Amino acid sequence: MTEEGGKSQGIKILGIIDIQNTPCARESILHGAGGSLVAGLVHFLATSRVKRSFDVGLAGFMLTTLGSWLYCRFNNAKLRVQQRIIQDGIKNKVIYEGTNLDPTRKTR
Amino acid sequence: MAHPTQLGFQDAASPVMEELLHFHDHALMIVFLISTLVLYIIVAMVSTKLTNKYILDSQEIEIVWTVLPAVILILIALPSLRILYLMDEINDPHLTIKAMGHQWYWSYEYTDYEDLGFDSYMIPTQDLNPGQFRLLEADHRMVVPMESPIRVLVSAEDVLHSWAVPSLGVKMDAVPGRLNQTAFIASRPGVFYGQCSEICGANHSFMPIVVEAVPLEHFENWSSLMLEDA
Repeated sequence: MTEEGGKSQGIKILGIIDIQNTPCARESILHGAGGSLVAGLVHFLATSRVKRSFDVGLAGFMLTTLGSWLYCRFNNAKLRVQQRIIQDGIKNKVIYEGTNLDPTRKTR
Repeated sequence: MAHPTQLGFQDAASPVMEELLHFHDHALMIVFLISTLVLYIIVAMVSTKLTNKYILDSQEIEIVWTVLPAVILILIALPSLRILYLMDEINDPHLTIKAMGHQWYWSYEYTDYEDLGFDSYMIPTQDLNPGQFRLLEADHRMVVPMESPIRVLVSAEDVLHSWAVPSLGVKMDAVPGRLNQTAFIASRPGVFYGQCSEICGANHSFMPIVVEAVPLEHFENWSSLMLEDA
């Protein structure tokens, strides 16, 4: 079933987060999976403790996912603010063009 | 608008709703991480062979499970407060509309320039045309110009009602004897549906809200037509 705008019904992991339609979600989960693998593997190679390595892997997953998520969302938010500023600028340019409120107009 | 089997929010039609959607995604990601942790701990507890009946205290873990939730709450609270104050801003509205709740319909008054007022009743199911939405369509829509800040003053003539349009990120209680203020900007043209959100009697579910955002020219034509008909 498609939603409005042609979005396909996304995959919800744990039934909570839609990784296809949520910006930054897919990248964060993939980074988290990679971080978890690396952290768990490194710990196991260093200590040969299996269960503790799984615990470290989970901690790595959570920290990497959260870090990647916060970084991506922050950049996404900055982009959205810039987009709104540009949109307002385009709208105002069209409205004020040729008048004395036009910022590009050279004063005599 | 809403569709069958929908679980999430409707697509945003205003900047505030876009921010709310983003915040919801953020909160949901944190919920997902906590759920993963809890699920992992449950599996670990159930499958462990270690048992120790004589642990009395442990400062390290107590510090961890005090500081970590505090950090998580701060991560959630900061964007939440930002949006809370953002929603309260009323930035020089271009138009003020009064939405009055009655049993069981809404009435809208556009009194900035001329005296324009009309009632908005739900279209009964048997009177719907093909393609129209059951329990959501109204005979007169609240037409607003798009990309303009609109202030809505919400009140009621009899009992409590609530004026809500999910895709615009707006919900405001209609309290008799009280004037509540809310504002929105419709970012795109379209028709946005909402329903009364405070129990108000037998036909509480049958007094929908329909907001139609159109370009300014169309809005001016519509208001002239409505004034002529009045």
